[in-house]
Amino acid sequence: MTPRKTFLEALVAMLTPRDVLVSCLGANARYLPHLAVPAPCIALCDSMGAAIPLALGMALQRPDRHVIALEGDGSLMMSPNVLATVAAARPENLTALLWVNRHYESSGGQALPAAPVDWVGLARGLGLTHVEAVADVATLRAAFPRARDARTPALLVLDVAFDPHEEIPPYSERPDEIRARFTVA
Amino acid sequence: MTLAASVPDTWIGRLMQAVRASAKIRAVDVAREEEAVAIACGASLAGGRGAVLIQNAGLLNCGGVLAGLVELYRIPCFFIVSYRGDGRDPIYYHTPKGRVTEATLGAWRLPYALADRAEDLAAQVARGVELADESRGPYVLLITGGDLE
Repeated sequence: MTPRKTFLEALVAMLTPRDVLVSCLGANARYLPHLAVPAPCIALCDSMGAAIPLALGMALQRPDRHVIALEGDGSLMMSPNVLATVAAARPENLTALLWVNRHYESSGGQALPAAPVDWVGLARGLGLTHVEAVADVATLRAAFPRARDARTPALLVLDVAFDPHEEIPPYSERPDEIRARFTVA
Repeated sequence: MTLAASVPDTWIGRLMQAVRASAKIRAVDVAREEEAVAIACGASLAGGRGAVLIQNAGLLNCGGVLAGLVELYRIPCFFIVSYRGDGRDPIYYHTPKGRVTEATLGAWRLPYALADRAEDLAAQVARGVELADESRGPYVLLITGGDLE
């Protein structure tokens, strides 16, 4: 399985200044300030499950920008209904990446409920038509441009390695700093 | 407003119909109320102005996202909330929600007003939107049965 940071670095390398990035709480939000993200970026430090609907609101408001949401499987497990909301709203400019590592990394690495969730099947069942499973970086490099060009909301389901000993940097920016810097020109 | 995210309630049905007919406001049908809050916030962060139209049962679901998104990131977010179970609601099973609604708003420090149908409702909405903008936070306008009919 692919480490989180490897996926994240590969994704950031594909972003452009015309994109907008929304990250859920946790490791992605904590790594992002240390990467050269070329797009406006807002990273959450709380509010599990908010990344995809936040990105949906941005995508509907700004159809001229592509909005990318990063969400964790623990967060989406709390509110999978949002996928139906996205499917109904049908933004052409929204790509969500689901980071499936089967653990609540932020709260100490506890395992998710041990159900073998079929995220691709669930997303399709809730109405999304462009859904791809991503097992490695090469697949991500091919799948992300397809998602961006799909002209329909897309979900990429990333199979992420969970490393309980990963040294994730702490949150380095306060929400008011993140908010003050975030603008979509 | 540029976007209104809503979960249905009888008392806000006509309002959502009007929003759907509007050329200026994007109506978003939402599966659960926390999503509606985040969607409205997304519209606001992207340069628009988002509103949330829900029932008080849904507002009671929203404590986490109000604290962890709206308050923490200081995002203007205007709510119109149907106040089911208030003294004028004829349906008995809404009563427990009505009993705790204003107490919960107080405990969560959410600024709110009760809509006054005898006065100009459009002005009350405009004032609520303005207060949300000024405070960069939430503002709730509670409406009851016949207010929007």
